[in-house]
Amino acid sequence: MTRFIESTITFPYKRSLGPVVGAFMSALTEKQILGIRCQDAVLVPPMEWDPATGAELPHQFVEVGPAGTVESWTWVATPSVQHPLEHPFAFAMVRLDGATTPLLHAVDAGTPESMSEGMRVAPRWRGTREGRIDDIICFVPGEAAETEGEDTGGAAEPVTRMDYLASITYRNPVPEAADRATEASRQHRLLGLRCPTCGRVYAGGRGLCPVDAIELGPDCEVDLPHKGTITNFAIVTPVQYPGQTETEPFVRAFVLLDGTDVIVPYSVVIELPADQVKVGQRVDAVWASPAEMTDEGGGMGGSWGSLLGWIPNGEPDLDDPDLVNRIF
Amino acid sequence: MSTTPVAVVGVGQTHHKSRRLDVSFGGLVREAVFRSLEDAQMSLDDIDAVVLGKAPDLFEGVMKPELYLSDALGAVGKPMFRVHTAGSVGGTTAIVAASHVQAGKHRTVLAVAFEKQSEGNAQFALGSGKGASLGAGGAFAPFIRAYIQRSGAPEHIGWKVAVKDRLNALKNTYAHLKIEDISIEKVRASPMMWEPTRFLESCPSSDGACAVVITDEAGGEAAAADGRPPAWILASSSRSEPPSFPGRDPVRPAAALQCAADVYTAAGITDPRRQIDTAELYVPFSWLEPIWLEAFGLADEGAGWKLVDDGTTELGGSLPVNASGGVLSSNPIGASGLLRFAEAANQVRGAAGEHQVDGAKVALGMAYGANNQYFSTWAVGSSLHPFG
Amino acid sequence: MSASSDDIAVIGWAQTPMVRHTDKSETQLLMEAITKAIAPLGLGRADIDFTCLGSCDYITGQAFSFVSNLDAIGAWPPKRDSHVEMDGAWALYEAWLRLQEGDIEIAVVTGSGRSSTGDPALIYPMEMDPYFLAPLGADPLTFAALQARAVIAAGIADERSMAEVAVRARGTGDVESLLAEGYIRQPLRRHDVPPITDGAAAMVLATGDRARQLVGRPAYITGFDHRTECHNPSFRALGDSPSTRIAAEAAGLGDAAVEVAELQAAFTHEELLLRDVLGFGDDVAVNRSGGALRENPIMATGLCRIGHAADHIFGGGSRALAHSTSGPCLQQNLICILEGGS
Repeated sequence: MTRFIESTITFPYKRSLGPVVGAFMSALTEKQILGIRCQDAVLVPPMEWDPATGAELPHQFVEVGPAGTVESWTWVATPSVQHPLEHPFAFAMVRLDGATTPLLHAVDAGTPESMSEGMRVAPRWRGTREGRIDDIICFVPGEAAETEGEDTGGAAEPVTRMDYLASITYRNPVPEAADRATEASRQHRLLGLRCPTCGRVYAGGRGLCPVDAIELGPDCEVDLPHKGTITNFAIVTPVQYPGQTETEPFVRAFVLLDGTDVIVPYSVVIELPADQVKVGQRVDAVWASPAEMTDEGGGMGGSWGSLLGWIPNGEPDLDDPDLVNRIF
Repeated sequence: MSTTPVAVVGVGQTHHKSRRLDVSFGGLVREAVFRSLEDAQMSLDDIDAVVLGKAPDLFEGVMKPELYLSDALGAVGKPMFRVHTAGSVGGTTAIVAASHVQAGKHRTVLAVAFEKQSEGNAQFALGSGKGASLGAGGAFAPFIRAYIQRSGAPEHIGWKVAVKDRLNALKNTYAHLKIEDISIEKVRASPMMWEPTRFLESCPSSDGACAVVITDEAGGEAAAADGRPPAWILASSSRSEPPSFPGRDPVRPAAALQCAADVYTAAGITDPRRQIDTAELYVPFSWLEPIWLEAFGLADEGAGWKLVDDGTTELGGSLPVNASGGVLSSNPIGASGLLRFAEAANQVRGAAGEHQVDGAKVALGMAYGANNQYFSTWAVGSSLHPFG
Repeated sequence: MSASSDDIAVIGWAQTPMVRHTDKSETQLLMEAITKAIAPLGLGRADIDFTCLGSCDYITGQAFSFVSNLDAIGAWPPKRDSHVEMDGAWALYEAWLRLQEGDIEIAVVTGSGRSSTGDPALIYPMEMDPYFLAPLGADPLTFAALQARAVIAAGIADERSMAEVAVRARGTGDVESLLAEGYIRQPLRRHDVPPITDGAAAMVLATGDRARQLVGRPAYITGFDHRTECHNPSFRALGDSPSTRIAAEAAGLGDAAVEVAELQAAFTHEELLLRDVLGFGDDVAVNRSGGALRENPIMATGLCRIGHAADHIFGGGSRALAHSTSGPCLQQNLICILEGGS
């Protein structure tokens, strides 16, 4: 039975708009829709360049609409969370009066039977407008534009940026080798996989040998020691970003397991302040108690499972000048 | 690598800044594109195909932006190609564009690369949105520690590189960081970010773009005849190796050694330290300069830092490195590699302006990516046979 | 010395099982596809001179997702290598250019994607115009529906002919009962849209003599071209596919008849539009494999088209065409022509 892990990548991007999109978005806050002249045509949405040739367009803006004609449409019976409306609506190509090209937007028409090519529509404006394409909530049938809620007027300053919140959730299968490594960690076993061809051993549930490009199955499993030496490390001064979990400098260490060639990379260290970590330091594995177990594993993340990290074990440091080179 | 002659006849780049809030995506890339076309005395009509490179789409939150930018790049009705090889991508973009011409498939190809880091956050994207992102600085710090111990280099080497590149940047109109009062003292006093790397030993986050016009032998000769010297591509190579396995050495990566060997063999370079007049190496953290000097055979193993220490790699030295100010001064990530390749081309074209290396005839452009795994390099010359 | 452009051939390819949900990583899928492609040729990974992988971070859900895929190619010692954030069909294009430089003989290209892990309706708006379209959640089904309307309006398709395409592609169902179903995005019904598929494909290319040494009947690439259109569908005539037409002409489609064609038509109307633009009559067997309507492993779908076309040549056929596409409403189109004789 395959296990799946969900992860969501969310980031609030901030777009700079440039002179043409910026003018369009600024005008939206005034409930005006701008096109741009491109030879004999009026392009809506306006572009900085001729879409056919890439030639720079002079900034000759033309106010269009606000009403327009539906040139084509399709019915969205089950809107996504990203769509402009939460109830069924039409996505339509709306050619605004005075424009040569159609603008894609939502039409709130109630039923697909109310939609037709050639139908007239007008914008439903948001009361408070920020200078975004969704300042137009949608279009509605008829000639008259409407405003939802109290109209707080145009933007005081020209609009130069817009927010774009990207949020996508992924549901990834956990490969068998990773799953077995995680499961073994629950019994406080550190599992490795020995490549039958080159003899290299890989930890962390990585079920393959990149040198020989072969998969390593359960028959390749070996138990690895719980004792090792820090060979190298990074002390990271965290930069703040959405999703960041750290506020203070933190350590990620590389631990060479005793009597093996195996490095446990980017290891969490415990009871070892950032200014005291050093090459050659002897450490022991620290495991989560059953009570601490979670689906997300311990402090190392991923298929390290219940391995929380490494703690100094009081043994004297190793003095080997080659240790520092053991990073992978 | 073929022997079909291919030339760089146009180079353009944006002014690189933390935040280019004055431009859209299209506006940013077009600034570089039109500069490159003006340099080549061409228009978009002369371009037969476009190759776009950039780092992960998560940086800006636009998936496959070559689609959106097709018309901004004048590619309608033409081939539009997208490359992504981690940090080396800008270099690979140039190499793939050159391959379009070398294969005889297209006459003139535009290589474009950009990053608009201000739209998002690099640390976020490098960690795929998860907490405790190491960032590039955290990822490379262990390599640097290993290099220092291995070579016995003194700690001021990193500071010297940082000062040198920032001084060079003062001579580059387009550079992002212009630190007029840069000094060893100032670098040493800057905050420790990823021990042993200090803040001023690190690259900035930049918005920027670069574009390069690559054409065939006839195009290169026509430019030369018109008094606009081309840069001839003598050889190029891209090599990659896996992320990790016991025995992998990220300080002297086999992929880097092989990439250098590919280029030198094909270009007839037998003594790179003497035959190469200047190099643009991808150095986002100061210690990467001696590391790459060694991996690319410009210094003996363990001796790269000495070329920094004795001033060899300074603008007035016998092997200036990153005369443009390098990645340490401008880092629009996806474009940073193409900038190295473009700056190398400008050096042999005699078109580098204030940061021109006198008499440069052969230059190296190099970029790398991921955990020192992806390498792209080209050697360019002021003539096809610079060694006689 | 460079290799003649028509003396480069596809000599083998393989794909993983195409499934709704894989339990494997993308790297594992590639490992399997590459091994299956090279082993029957008697080749090992060390024989591969150049690799080019095609995949997409936003499909995979991770920045630099392709980096771990290096584990699958046997890049030790380090390989000449590249990666495109495009379908594997474009990876093939890069390898085809690279082989023409003449210094190397064998290339492997791949396409891989696990589109089951995210919701395409939420991912794909991110490839749209970031100011006017992405903020509206403008999704691929919407654009396909709008293009279908245009193709129908142009007289190239109707709902019945679209259903016929679906029945033929999937080999199941009957037109009358399909047409009795409701719309999921008018004028599209469930049968008009592609499945969600996880999978990967790998293809082996070789130059002239080496190709002939390795297989009895290489599939020579005699024409290869791709073209793009402007991005925003607002500015395009959606009842046509001019970039397909230019690419086909540049690839030499008109030089001789093709017997089979594999078109990356994820939606039924796309197949009808592409057939029309390419001027195919009933004498061209289109998408005998079932095409993208049967299996749609995003980022590998196009490469699989070229694979199926190559199979036709391997089986004794003389000329086949393969097509790949990217972007909303067939924004970008690629044509590859394969022949049994160089």
